Amino acid sequence: MKTVGKDIIRPDAYDKIIGKAIYPDDIEIEGMLYAGVKRTTIPYGRVLSINSEEIKKVPGVVAVIDYKMIPGAISHGVIFKDIPTLVKDVFKRVGDCLLLVVAKDKASLKIALDNVKVEYEEYKGVFTVEDALKEDAPILGDGSNILYDIKVKKGDIEKGFEEAAFIAENFYHTQMTEHVFLQPECAVSTIDDDGKINVYVATQYPHYDREEVAKCLDMNEEDIRIINTTIGGAFGGREDINPQCHAALATYITKRPVKVLYSREESVISHSKRHPMKLYYKTGVKDDGKLCALKVRIYGDTGAYASWGMNVLRKSAVHATGPYEIPNVDVRAQAIYTNNPYSGAMRGFGAAQVPLAHEAQMDILAEKLAMHPLQFRYLNAFKVGSVTATLQELKSSVGIKECMEKLAQIDNIQLDKDVRE
Amino acid sequence: MKKRGIGYAATFYGTGYGNGFPDESRATVEINANGEIILSVEVSDVGSGGISVMWQIASETLNIDRNLIKLQYDNTSKMLDSGTAAASRQTYNTGNAVLDACKKIKINIDKYYNKVEIIKNKKVLTELYQKFISDNQELKYEGYFKATTSQVDLETGIGEPYWPYTFGINRAIVEVDCETGKVDVIDVVAVYDAGKIVNPVLAEGQIIGGVSMGMGYAIMEEVNVLKGSIKNCNYSDYIIPTSKDMPKVTTYFVEANEASGPYGAKGLGEPAMLPTAPAILNAIYDAIGVRLTEFPATCDRILLELKNKGV
Amino acid sequence: MIKVTMTVNGKLYTREIPPMMRLLDFIRDELKLKGTKEGCGEGECGACTVIIDGDIYNSCMVLATSCEGKRITTIEGISGAELHPIQEAFLEVNAVQCGYCTPGMILSAKALLDKNINATEKEMKEAISGNLCRCTGYQKIIEAVKLAQKKLKKR
Repeated sequence: MKTVGKDIIRPDAYDKIIGKAIYPDDIEIEGMLYAGVKRTTIPYGRVLSINSEEIKKVPGVVAVIDYKMIPGAISHGVIFKDIPTLVKDVFKRVGDCLLLVVAKDKASLKIALDNVKVEYEEYKGVFTVEDALKEDAPILGDGSNILYDIKVKKGDIEKGFEEAAFIAENFYHTQMTEHVFLQPECAVSTIDDDGKINVYVATQYPHYDREEVAKCLDMNEEDIRIINTTIGGAFGGREDINPQCHAALATYITKRPVKVLYSREESVISHSKRHPMKLYYKTGVKDDGKLCALKVRIYGDTGAYASWGMNVLRKSAVHATGPYEIPNVDVRAQAIYTNNPYSGAMRGFGAAQVPLAHEAQMDILAEKLAMHPLQFRYLNAFKVGSVTATLQELKSSVGIKECMEKLAQIDNIQLDKDVRE
Repeated sequence: MKKRGIGYAATFYGTGYGNGFPDESRATVEINANGEIILSVEVSDVGSGGISVMWQIASETLNIDRNLIKLQYDNTSKMLDSGTAAASRQTYNTGNAVLDACKKIKINIDKYYNKVEIIKNKKVLTELYQKFISDNQELKYEGYFKATTSQVDLETGIGEPYWPYTFGINRAIVEVDCETGKVDVIDVVAVYDAGKIVNPVLAEGQIIGGVSMGMGYAIMEEVNVLKGSIKNCNYSDYIIPTSKDMPKVTTYFVEANEASGPYGAKGLGEPAMLPTAPAILNAIYDAIGVRLTEFPATCDRILLELKNKGV
Repeated sequence: MIKVTMTVNGKLYTREIPPMMRLLDFIRDELKLKGTKEGCGEGECGACTVIIDGDIYNSCMVLATSCEGKRITTIEGISGAELHPIQEAFLEVNAVQCGYCTPGMILSAKALLDKNINATEKEMKEAISGNLCRCTGYQKIIEAVKLAQKKLKKR
């Protein structure tokens, strides 16, 4: 092949090394206004009042926008439309957007936002998955705090553990993490003479942003243009809507170009996080080193809003075995609402948490078997024709044993290949 | 006293939206009067190198020098919907849509120029354009790809939730300071099967970046939330690896060809970070005989576990 | 407003600016040089790195008025018709991913190699340790600095 498989210098690199790559905050437009939002500072409650009228009088303020001024949908979400673009009354997390303020410059905007006063009625929140599952817990979801519940069953789990020579049984607790993409969220919107809205933003999915902006403004999707600038990292953190709708809304109302730029702090508060998970793992192995049974329970703290919570926990459940063929499997994974920051997409997406558990289990069992940990993995690894926990046959391109062989060669480990088949 | 340990971890990762969700990508390729090929495709390059991958697949398929291929990838009014730059799906899904579009125009290009030599000259393309016009050939071709997965049953899990799968293994060597609890990651070997690698140097960059993020996940990073409020919103309190923290990383690819992928390729972006954290945690156990079950393995947690164990 | 005069990328600028204006805003908003990036605004990430009289600074932590009479170099100022060898090296070894840290990285590398063309790998890692990168894992950036070192030595 002439191009595929070759070390080509990426076409976007040149502009990046000379400082000419355009990220959203590098865009300046004549007459551009600055917009920002006042965010909730308590995790769960209801808005009683906001001093919007006073904020309108702050020098430099051009518009003060609340949910009533949104022409279309007042909330958004990648699957369920549950994240408020601007809060109507009840909110479920710290960092929800209350009031959109538009000002002539950054300094006036900051003064205006600092002076927004909000009266809340605070509700009792839940902050752990255990509390969220209690009978008297406040209900944050649609009739329940369980957003998603999936079971994966293969073979006969009881029989599987009866066959086990060794069993490892442990609880693991993975932490919440943050994407730390270096470029904070920013969007710039403009309006054409014919009323079409353009939003310049760094996003993972321009067509999704277009759909949400169109719904928010109650406009046709064809009348919205999303222009994806150079993207300063994402790692899943730019999948949900953040400044897009606010910038577009501010332009729609003021008919002026508008920039929304987050500080690092606002960036961290606003976007999704990696699900913290509590994992129960019980893994059984026969004396010949073959895995025979796996029981897993996963509780993912999905936070205040759905985002990709269902998909993330599904991915955890499907990947709970690790890349190993196990005849008897019993997995259950749940995504559970709390009043914590909402969890969603982050590189690995549910398949990043389970390896912290399944790979610890593998080492514990290898030690009990007195087998080299690489050999033990090799013995159980998927190959072409393997059947996963969801009864999916892996029909092609299963290179995990080859990866292990390569590593064994590098580290000068003699893998016993007789056990391969 | 510092103690060394070695750890292994293997992972797999099903790419794409999965679960039967319509996972579609589209691309258009067009020949113009200026002697250029315009490839329009929604590939949000978050730093991953997606643009380069599409460019290379197009150049390979069309047998046209990449410098004659212009990419249009930033404006919703000028490109079709190809879905998210997520789920490690762009190379496989969108790459397949680019391949499809390019194959379609290539059938007609071959009618006029069917040589082994790559087209490097703008003039050849301008002449091709003229021939397309005079013979009333379409100038613009649309490519499409939809991944094949099926919905899993919520009670049994039965189904084909993802396709294809990418695999990887890491071996990590760490040094743990038993007085301070500090973990230094010394060396990581990372071996992956992501099918055919479209651009090895970019792929290697993904892996090393993934090792860095996996290392942060294992021993450094944690968002501290108190009553729903994040307490470490800045980089002085939320610590990620710096240049001084990074181990030596050596990357290898075994390329298990995936017939349904463009030139045999699968996804890589997310799988790149998966095996590193568990390999480091297993190496810590190997070094000090203490297995952490709450993460990350910060100095405080390691010292506490060492104390509990009476070391 | 305070009058300030400084040399940026070899050109002398005099401006009347608010006393509390950050050098970062002076560069980006007054001079419209957008290659210097803001990542955190707290001096932690290094995306806003510039060279002031040969030393690197986070321009978000420097008041523009304190730069009276100083010589500032930003990413726009290190190459003319041809790329600087450090930029060439960043291209050649694929040290660039999302690109947001890249200008700061290149300037930190330049300040190091300007002072010490024989810098060791350890010194290189130290020199860019104030520049966070989430994409690359730094290894290829260090490779680029080493390659640039070779290129500069040949000159």
